[in-house]
Amino acid sequence: MNPLARIAAVARKEFRHLLRDWRVLAAVLLLPVVELLLFSYAISFDVRDVPTVIVDADQTPASRAYVQAYETSTFFEVLGEASDVNAVDRLFDANAARVVVVVQPGFARAIAAGERAEVGVLIDGSEPNAARVGQAYALALNQFYSQRIAAAWADRQGLDLSAAGRLEPRLRTWYNPERSSSIFLIPGLMVVIIMIVTVQQTAVSLVRERDLHTQEQLLVSPLRQVESMVGKLLPWTLLAFADMIAIAVLGLTVFGVPLRGSVPVLAGASALFVFCSLGMGLLVSALSLSLETANVVALLLSFLPAFLLSGFAFPLESIPMALQVVSCVFPARFMVSISRAVFLKGAGLAEVWPDLAALGAYAVVVLAASTALYARRSRR
Amino acid sequence: MNARRVRLLIWKEFLQLRRDPLLLRALMLMPIVQLVLFGYVVAADVRNLSTAVLDLDRTPVSRRIEASFAASGYFTITSHPASETELRPLMDAGGVKVAVVIPEGTQAALDRGETAGLGVIVDGSDSSVASVAAGYAAQIVAQFNTDRLAASGLTVSPPGIDARVRVVFNPSLDAVNTMIPGLIGAILMISISVIMSQAVVRERERGTLEQMFVTPITPGEYLLGKVVPYALLACVQASVVAAVGALWFKVPFNGSVPVVVVGLALFLLTCIGLGLLVSLVSHTRHQAQQTVMLMMIPMMILSGFIFPVESMPAGLQPVAYAIPLTWALRILRGAFVKGSGFEALAVPLLVLAGFGVVIFGAAVWATHRRLAE
Repeated sequence: MNPLARIAAVARKEFRHLLRDWRVLAAVLLLPVVELLLFSYAISFDVRDVPTVIVDADQTPASRAYVQAYETSTFFEVLGEASDVNAVDRLFDANAARVVVVVQPGFARAIAAGERAEVGVLIDGSEPNAARVGQAYALALNQFYSQRIAAAWADRQGLDLSAAGRLEPRLRTWYNPERSSSIFLIPGLMVVIIMIVTVQQTAVSLVRERDLHTQEQLLVSPLRQVESMVGKLLPWTLLAFADMIAIAVLGLTVFGVPLRGSVPVLAGASALFVFCSLGMGLLVSALSLSLETANVVALLLSFLPAFLLSGFAFPLESIPMALQVVSCVFPARFMVSISRAVFLKGAGLAEVWPDLAALGAYAVVVLAASTALYARRSRR
Repeated sequence: MNARRVRLLIWKEFLQLRRDPLLLRALMLMPIVQLVLFGYVVAADVRNLSTAVLDLDRTPVSRRIEASFAASGYFTITSHPASETELRPLMDAGGVKVAVVIPEGTQAALDRGETAGLGVIVDGSDSSVASVAAGYAAQIVAQFNTDRLAASGLTVSPPGIDARVRVVFNPSLDAVNTMIPGLIGAILMISISVIMSQAVVRERERGTLEQMFVTPITPGEYLLGKVVPYALLACVQASVVAAVGALWFKVPFNGSVPVVVVGLALFLLTCIGLGLLVSLVSHTRHQAQQTVMLMMIPMMILSGFIFPVESMPAGLQPVAYAIPLTWALRILRGAFVKGSGFEALAVPLLVLAGFGVVIFGAAVWATHRRLAE
């Protein structure tokens, strides 16, 4: 029997394991789909329809017109009116409102007299992101409404307020004009899913033989260690590529993600990245004594960094320097950057070669390290 | 129920844990790693965005616009491309996330009293950056206009509205203040279900479950012996998170300890029940691990742990309320951030109690049935 036939035999055995345990297979195939759906439909970075309650102590046509401005905005969703300020605490406590607008008595009188009327806007800060956006929107809404009042007043007085000129921001969004979060997330999600599935599955399936004490049976067979490893990794490599292609196709067809750049560069980078992940899986399996350990260590080394240190959902620019250095220890960050550049920005080899080189170097180092660890372990 | 037998079972479980030092270390490392990652990465304010300024006007006004962007702290000006064609490769390579374009004739237009447009280009391939950058830019421009109006010497003051926008609870808007209370719940759920799901299935896979049956141990004792060590472990993990959160991240605690303890106890019951159920329906540890993963990711994402439930599509919000973690987060955040007591948190506590009774009850019933077989 030649080495290739032996590798094929191990791969066949591994495939049988996989097919026999249909529940694991289903979970491995279902995980990418579930994540794709969750991240594409459930997550939105735009905050909107924030539950808002209004306390209108003035009850005049002017105050009602002001309240109307909140009702027509897409950010605030006016749920109703509360009669007095004492109700506010209860509303916040019960999570019934995130924003409370308090219009003081005398609102209409102040404006009619040409003075500035005071309005209180209370924002629940326990959801900081929404609160920060809420603050900006509340200020903008009031500034805008204030200008309308001032313009009406100036008209009546025959004044011209426009003498100072105004600067106005004109926003353009490149690469993703609708700012749809699925277009932004899917190129990165592909990388995250591959990393989670590959590292965890290779680690667990390699440790299983040791854990179930069938390792000895393999050792007495004519199989060399390299052959056994390659054979075991083969099914997971194929599965990783299948996952990757499936997500890319789904993203392109169902979610309308554009593929603007070079496909060969993307394919090459994906191959390198899969090797990096396999190497990490090998490393974890070399370190772990039992299935539980392999699972927990894989969670620690693949799941968390893939989600949080890859820049896939959370930008890396704003994190502390030390963590930015740590993020370079995991290959996901380079692959997310390549994937996003190729899909969305139309990048080719000229733009992404530094990331590509990093991935290549990583693959070499991690595969060499895990092979060395394995060799040392088997000699013991 | 024999106390000595339960104690010995607990002892056995601890011995098994100790025999695998890497597992124990990884389990203790997990909360720390999560704290650091969630505390610094997810809770990071988006600031210091690398910005290019494309100044085509080259006047005192355009320089003042640039200065107000630089002074805001949100934008770090890293380059000055001469034209939009020079800007493109900078954005393509990802070195620049935002570009401010000051068109020619901006100062002249402002001096004539006209409205001048200021181009703000954001990198939409990074939508979290894109959404905040627009808000920050609008804020800076609004301030710039107000300053100009004040400096123009206009003596009349028109009527208007002074909005006093005040943030109640967590006025500094530090995201860690809500992230870390939530993390206590999330870590509890992850570590309990990951470990618990392996507990029974391991004995089955190894064939040591049969050995248990021939001993005088009753199903109740067996269950207690399995649950207690991991519940203790989870308590240690939760305390580590709380301690690091309070001491290192300076997360304020405004509420009452009994509320948190009751909430966590109810949630713990639910998590143990979930882990046990997975363990009972799985035939191998590998299956159990996969099932837990498949369950946990949607729970983490739909519970509002990172992304608020309100900004989810209306169709998915009912799903969020069917997840125990959603209610645990309400209690933890309510107690930590808002200082809410039993009365204000009655609904989430009752819901969690319901989950606990149903899920844990189902797990106990299923264990009895399995062991009786």
